[in-house]
Amino acid sequence: MTISIGDKIPSADLNILTDDGPGGISTDEIFSGKKVAIFGLPGAFTPTCSAQHLPGFVNNADALKAKGIDTIVCLAVNDPFVMGAWGKDQNVGDKVMMVADGSANFTKATGLELDLTEKGLGVRCQRFSMVVDDGEVKSLNIDEAGAVEKTSAEAMLGEL
Amino acid sequence: MTISIGDKIPSVELYVLTDDGPVAISTDDIFAGKKVAVFGLPGAFTRTCSAKHLPGFVNNADALKAKGVDAIVCLAVNDAFVMGAWSKAQDVGDSVMMVADGSARLAKAAGLDIDMSAKGFGLRSRRFSMVVDDGEVKSLNIDEPGTFEHTSAEVMLSEL
Repeated sequence: MTISIGDKIPSADLNILTDDGPGGISTDEIFSGKKVAIFGLPGAFTPTCSAQHLPGFVNNADALKAKGIDTIVCLAVNDPFVMGAWGKDQNVGDKVMMVADGSANFTKATGLELDLTEKGLGVRCQRFSMVVDDGEVKSLNIDEAGAVEKTSAEAMLGEL
Repeated sequence: MTISIGDKIPSVELYVLTDDGPVAISTDDIFAGKKVAVFGLPGAFTRTCSAKHLPGFVNNADALKAKGVDAIVCLAVNDAFVMGAWSKAQDVGDSVMMVADGSARLAKAAGLDIDMSAKGFGLRSRRFSMVVDDGEVKSLNIDEPGTFEHTSAEVMLSEL
């Protein structure tokens, strides 16, 4: 079942790429005591994501933080090496935390999975955005496949 | 069960990134009537792979072709976008065909899959190399996780 407004973010183990290689990070570490803007997408280096979704959050990072966001998280069912390489390619710097859900732990626990096996991508996550306050979902948007409309940084700014 | 010398490569659908986006390619398209050097690895942009495995085949592409290899194929359980981005990052050009097995069809059908879910990578391919002649496996080498010994371009060259 898909996560809803008012739900708590489930506990799941995720990974980020550090200077020393992949490092584990829990959802508790990411969300506890903070207001987090999180967006998810079907895959690093895919055209819609590269061209619109991630850069939108990078470019609006300061505006989101001015509206009370402590952390911006980009999540995909890719491993930390791929997420790190994509962050570097897109000049993300420290504006957006690139979080790898390579085993789809978070994606499955939140019911946000999208089966792209037929297209050769395996199980991925839907394109979504959430504002999460101290682990509680405050807003949730999901885009249909192939679109970035409701889940953009601009849409989130409009709702904050 | 893991594929063996003398076996036929199973028929599955894979993907490559073209200028028009991801395109499906069958194992028959890749292997029929040709002598193919194929190597697989746990993931694009990972350290051992990036630093040694793929560049070894890029640098030895001409030497392999001089020994009768018609095509060199790099295979990983990543999608076509990630394989294409990695190819660009590593300056592969047209020396090695970067083939995406994003839904792990070949990895599973060949029994070369490795479950890296606990490390946040999901199901991947083991590090292997094969010489395949008209779809029949002529040589097969597999490296244990975390090692890179038997599957290099240099080892393959010495066996041809």
